Amino acid sequence: MLRTVICDLARLRLSGSASPAAVLITQVREKGHLSRPRLRNPYWFIRQQRTRTDDLVTGENRTFIKEVVHDTYGVPALIKGTQTYEQKQLIKTTEAPTDAEPWTPAVRRCGLIARKIGQYPLWLKNGERVRTTLLQVVDNHVIKYIPPEEYRPTQRPNVHHLNKYGCVLVGAECTNPALLTKEYCGLFRDSGVMPKKNLARFIVSPQAALAAGTPLNVGHFRVGEFVDVRGKTVDHGFQGVVKRHGFKGMPASHGVTKTHRRAGNIGGGGEKGRVWPGTKMPGHMGNRWRIIKGLRIWRINTKYNVMWVQGSAVPGSTNGLVYIYDTILPLRKPKDAPPFPTLYDNADANEPDDIWYDQVHSFKEESISYKPE
Amino acid sequence: MNVNARVLSNRLAQQCSLKRIVTFSTKPTQQAAAVAVPQQKDAANSAPVRKPIVPAHYRFVYPEFLPDPKVEWRNTVREKLERLDMLDRRRQIELPEFYVGSILAVTSSDPHAAGKISRFVGICIHRERCGLRARFILRNVIDHQGIEVVYELYDPTIQKVEVLRLEKRVDDSLFYLRDALPEFSTFDEQMEPETLEEGTPVPINDIKVVLRPRPWLERWERQNLLGVANIDQYIKDKHRKSAEKVQKPWEKYDMMKHYRATIPEEEQKEIFAEVHTELHTLELQRKRNKRKRSFVKPKQLA
Amino acid sequence: MNQAEVSKLISQLRITMRPNKRHLKNSEGPEGRLLKLRKTVTALVKHERIELFYNRADEARGYAELLISNAIRYGDRHKATMELADYWLLEKQLVHKLFKVLVPRYENFSSSYTRMLKAPRDYPGIYYKKSVLEFRGNPFPALVPDYTQNRNLLHNVLLDEARKEFRREQLAKMANKFAAETAAPPALATQENDAGN
Repeated sequence: MLRTVICDLARLRLSGSASPAAVLITQVREKGHLSRPRLRNPYWFIRQQRTRTDDLVTGENRTFIKEVVHDTYGVPALIKGTQTYEQKQLIKTTEAPTDAEPWTPAVRRCGLIARKIGQYPLWLKNGERVRTTLLQVVDNHVIKYIPPEEYRPTQRPNVHHLNKYGCVLVGAECTNPALLTKEYCGLFRDSGVMPKKNLARFIVSPQAALAAGTPLNVGHFRVGEFVDVRGKTVDHGFQGVVKRHGFKGMPASHGVTKTHRRAGNIGGGGEKGRVWPGTKMPGHMGNRWRIIKGLRIWRINTKYNVMWVQGSAVPGSTNGLVYIYDTILPLRKPKDAPPFPTLYDNADANEPDDIWYDQVHSFKEESISYKPE
Repeated sequence: MNVNARVLSNRLAQQCSLKRIVTFSTKPTQQAAAVAVPQQKDAANSAPVRKPIVPAHYRFVYPEFLPDPKVEWRNTVREKLERLDMLDRRRQIELPEFYVGSILAVTSSDPHAAGKISRFVGICIHRERCGLRARFILRNVIDHQGIEVVYELYDPTIQKVEVLRLEKRVDDSLFYLRDALPEFSTFDEQMEPETLEEGTPVPINDIKVVLRPRPWLERWERQNLLGVANIDQYIKDKHRKSAEKVQKPWEKYDMMKHYRATIPEEEQKEIFAEVHTELHTLELQRKRNKRKRSFVKPKQLA
Repeated sequence: MNQAEVSKLISQLRITMRPNKRHLKNSEGPEGRLLKLRKTVTALVKHERIELFYNRADEARGYAELLISNAIRYGDRHKATMELADYWLLEKQLVHKLFKVLVPRYENFSSSYTRMLKAPRDYPGIYYKKSVLEFRGNPFPALVPDYTQNRNLLHNVLLDEARKEFRREQLAKMANKFAAETAAPPALATQENDAGN
């Protein structure tokens, strides 16, 4: 209704501009700007999973479909501790590009998609115990690099940064393409990578661009460096103030009635006689994206693509997805060049599986003993 | 034992086969015959039968190799890496078999001790956690002061773990020793290790501990403890009633609850099959070393 | 991270299990929950196919599976198993059925002992989801018709044709390859002859 009216008015105005003398010009305040979408989702935000129906496909045909999948993408294989496919069709980029620019502290490198697989302690050489979280890099491949000129971010960046950074689209965990929609599978066609379950984009400097099909492994980061880890925190639902903000609650007895886990006072009187913004109150807890910054990598296992990072507060549940970036904390940024743009797999058999930071006590070493003074 | 029972019942069944009223059991009539005969054959041939590779007692000896049964926290790769690390540590240090109730001596390096090394002797009152976090609590009374030390089993600052007396107690954890008379948790620091003959089962010490009068740290009367002698002496009727109220006799039948608290047998087999050879060689090595040690000593004297 | 309990040894369930138990509302607490569930298990063992609310069926299913797997593992001379059967089966003749009928039936099974199907709920009626819980190998006719062999469905016909073409292509490729291998030396020879001429 409203729209038709606006259209009519617009037409009036148009005709007015064509022949100004004929029609009376009325000013129209357009309302279209209110409903204009501010965020435009990137093109890979499309429906992923096909509707699962009972296809009633005969057993013969089911094996045939599987055979075709294996024929195009390779047989299922366990590579670096992750169940995936052999991917023989992949455009192999195992060698570093020759014209790569050198690393400078200002460039932004690509990140990794990982799974948080659990936590256990490690010990330092001085006998101190550190709690670590294990992050497994799950079968990452570069899907596409979008150069700065073409990259349209969802939110327009600051004018200073306009067109400064490109974007690398990375996928993790191969999956059976028969379960996915045609459009989603189409995202992967040019890269030669098998359709992946998870996608993530990383904002990178154009120097750190990666060719499609490049595999990303834990070797991308080095032991002793610091990383930021982004994940979605565990959903706790609507929680009270004791669990959500760690309030103490009130005593269980001594005449206390009905206020054992309540917040108590939420504001004063007089001039401040209102609830101040930001007052801690009950509400939804968790299920938010959070970045934990500056975690040191204590140890890396290249055989299973696992890294041990400091602390047990990595956001998300065990077996949940997290994203690993170079840290943005200025004092913990790497001083010398990390593998740039990434570590290309040179398949060196002599390299040990486990790489320990030199402060960490390896379990293969003898027990720690202190020298008597 | 089982076989004998089956054979006996088989005979019985044959005797009363005419009547066909088999009230006690149905399985043996047809199957016991089938089972018993191959077993006799096995005894004769003994070649085709493969014994279960992993000994059945491994889950008691190495309980920390079994992961936490909570489904949300499990991950095969993590568990595998953890097991590899545990084996690496076990190659460096001898971590012997022990149970709650065994008396241990733990030597660990301590930056604050004189000589940078401390040795603590005590009774293991609790074992908990799994994987690299596995830990146990030792308790002793030294200078009339009860002392408990928590040791992590895989902590690299531990230099030696000796089992001075290998035995079990009747309860799963012995926290009640904290409320018992001090003589029940007093152990001599200069205690000599007692050796058990190989192949003997671990003895169960059914000693009854005498508690101090109330107040206690916990409500022991509610925990159905078998190793306490005089719990009735100090509790009143109201305690007895409240203890009855909190009992959960139905949990015995809650099979899913048990299932969620255990690692199923198939998975246990897989896990122990992975570490068995390594653990077994370590055990053998340890035995050889022990023999060597006992053999070398008289030589030096002579 | 807690230590797994080692005193008991239980075989693995062949069904997907929820990590935590469902909260089935019961005024008598956890005991009442079991008392209610054992009625379901008894009914299942008795009738071999029952229709009930989904949540209760799913909870009871695990108990039924474990009861059978325990019975298979320990037999009827195991005191603890007998106690379990006595508790879970309210009608005592069903204990005989468990050991004499169900155990022989499932001894060599590699799949789960029970099957659960979603059932339609009556409209208008109670909102709860319904399901059918049944033992495998029960004497009743199957609930779901077997469509797996239906070749005349359109997509099966199309897939059949695609498969045939795929095989033909594969064969052709192999034949070409073989021909190329066998034909290669003469071709080379002719080239050489040409060069010589």
